[in-house]
Amino acid sequence: MDRLWWHFQQLLKIDAMNLVILVVVVLIGWTIISETIPNPARYLPSPLAVSLSSVDMLVKGLLPSYYSDTLVRLIIGSSIGLAAGIPFGLLLGLNKTVADMFHPMMNFFQSVSGIAIFPIVVIWWGNSDTTVLAVILYTSFFPIAFNVLSGVREIPIRYVNAARTMGASKYQIMKDVLFPGAMPHIATGSRLSIGFAWRAVIAGEMLAGRQGLGWMIFTGQDADRTAEVILGMVMIGLTWIILDHYLLRPIEADTIERWGLVQR
Amino acid sequence: MNSMTPKLVVEGLTHYYPDEYTGESVHALEDINLELYEGELVSVVGPSGCGKSTLLNILAGLLPYKIGTASVDGNVIHGPGPDRGVVFQEHAILPWRTVAKNIGHGLEIRKVPQAEREKRVQEFIDLVGLTGFEEKFPHELSGGMKQRCQVARTLCADPVVMLMDEPFAAVDAQTRITLQEELNRIAMATHKTILFITHSVEEAAFLADRCLVFSARPGRLKEIVEIGIPREQRNWTAMNDNAIFIAARDRILASVREEVSIAVEE
Ligand SMILES: Nc1ncnc2c1ncn2[C@@H]1O[C@H](COP(=O)(O)OP(=O)(O)OP(=O)(O)O)[C@@H](O)[C@H]1O
Ligand SMILES: [Mg+2]
Repeated sequence: MDRLWWHFQQLLKIDAMNLVILVVVVLIGWTIISETIPNPARYLPSPLAVSLSSVDMLVKGLLPSYYSDTLVRLIIGSSIGLAAGIPFGLLLGLNKTVADMFHPMMNFFQSVSGIAIFPIVVIWWGNSDTTVLAVILYTSFFPIAFNVLSGVREIPIRYVNAARTMGASKYQIMKDVLFPGAMPHIATGSRLSIGFAWRAVIAGEMLAGRQGLGWMIFTGQDADRTAEVILGMVMIGLTWIILDHYLLRPIEADTIERWGLVQR
Repeated sequence: MNSMTPKLVVEGLTHYYPDEYTGESVHALEDINLELYEGELVSVVGPSGCGKSTLLNILAGLLPYKIGTASVDGNVIHGPGPDRGVVFQEHAILPWRTVAKNIGHGLEIRKVPQAEREKRVQEFIDLVGLTGFEEKFPHELSGGMKQRCQVARTLCADPVVMLMDEPFAAVDAQTRITLQEELNRIAMATHKTILFITHSVEEAAFLADRCLVFSARPGRLKEIVEIGIPREQRNWTAMNDNAIFIAARDRILASVREEVSIAVEE
C-alpha cells in the first residue's frame, strides 16, 4: 500500500504540470470550435455544456449507476480472463512440444477480435449479461495466454536448467522461473487484455443493450443528447488512463524494471 | 572419513549426438572412466569440441546418456538432482531474485526453514565476498560478482559434487585471476569435491589436484597430470616460480597442443 502511494506521488509530481497545461489547451480549443460552429448542441457541445449534463446525470444518479455497471463488468471479466490466461500460458510453456503445438492455435484465437465473435455469442445467449461477460472473457483470455506462452518460450534455457539442477519440481520451476521470467510479456499481455476487455465492455453494452457507459453513449446518440455521448467518451478515456497509470505502471516498475529486464 | 570411496564415478561413458537431418551422429565422448574423491578438485582440459561440456551436462543430469554409467555417492545419475551443483559458463543466476534470494534458492527448493536459510546464505555471501550486496539484483552486479554469486548459490545448496563448466571464461583477465585465487581459498575452506572444466591450461594447473587431458573429438581420457602443491601455497605470485606448477603446466600444454593440431588437421 505504501509502495502504491509512493508511485502515486511520483506520478503526480512528474505529470501534474504537463497534464494541467495539456488539459487547459484542449479545453480552450474545444470551446473555440464549439462556439464557432452552428448548432453546437447537436454537433459539438462545449465543455461547459458537457459538465452541466454530467452534473444533471449525477443528480439523477444515472452516471454513478452506469459507471459502476461498466466497471464491475470490466473488473469481473478481465480478472477471470487474467486469472485463467496466465496459468494456462505457463502450463503450456512447461513442455516445449505442447507449446509449439498450441502456439498457432492461440495465435488464431487471439486474432479473432471480440467484436467478431459477438454475433455467435448472441446466438447462444441472446442479449444478456452473460453475452457481454462471455465476450469480455474471450477478449481478455487469449491475448494474455498467448503472450505468456511466447514469454515462456523466450526464457533462456539455462535459467530453467539452473533450477532443475537444484532439484526444483515442475511447480517450483513454474513459480520461480517461468512466471517471473515471463513477466515482461505478462505485463504487455495484461495491458492488451484489459484494453481489449475495456473495448469489449463498451461494445457489448451497445450491441446487447445492457446498461452502462456504452449504453449511455448509444442511447445519447439516438436521443440527440450529444453532451451525454461526449461525457461517456471522456469517462471511458479517463478510466483507462487511471487504470494504466495507477495500476499497471506501478506493477511494471516494481517487477520488470526493478529486475533490469527492460530499460526505461 | 572414508576417503577411499569415490564421490563421483564414471565408467565406460560414451556419447553420440544423433543428427536428425543428416542421419550421421556426432561421436562426442569415447569410453570415459574417472573417479573423484572427497575434497578433490579435478580439472578437465582439451581442445574445443572434444566433449567437455557434454561430459558435464551428462553428469549434471541435463543430457540423457545410453552407454556407460555415471554415479554420485553410489546413486546412478538419471536426471538433475541437488546432490550435484552446477556453475554454468554463462551466468545463470535469476534476474528477478536478489543476490541473497538467488544464493538461498537451493535451500528454498528443499524447504529449509527461513531462519536457518538466512544464516547459511549470509555465511556464503561473506565467503565469496558479496557482503553488502545481499539486496541487489543481478543486473546491478559486475560480471565477476555474478560468477561469485553463482558459486555461492551452488555451495550454499551443499551438493556432494560441484560441477563447473568454464565458469571464469567470460570475465576479464584481472577478475579471472582473483576468482581463481578465491576458488582455491573456497576449496580449502569447504573441502568440496569439484570437477572443473576449462580451456585454460594455466587455470587448470593452478587449481587442480589432478588434471585430465582429453583428446580431440571423440573425447578420450588421454593423460592424467597430478599437481601436488598444497592449497595454502597456491597464489599467483608464488606460482609463477613454483617448479611443480611450471612443470605441470608445460606438461599439460604440450599434451593439449598435440590434440589441438590433430583437431585442426581434421
Ligand atoms: N546439442 C548438440 N547436438 C549435436 N551435437 C552437439 C551438441 N552439443 C555439442 N555437440 C557436438 O559435440 C561435440 C562436443 O561438444 P562439447 O560442447 O561437449 O565440446 P566442448 O569440449 O565443451 O567444447 P568447448 O571447449 O568449445 O566448449 C562438438 O563436436 C559439438 O559439435
Ligand atoms: Mg564447452
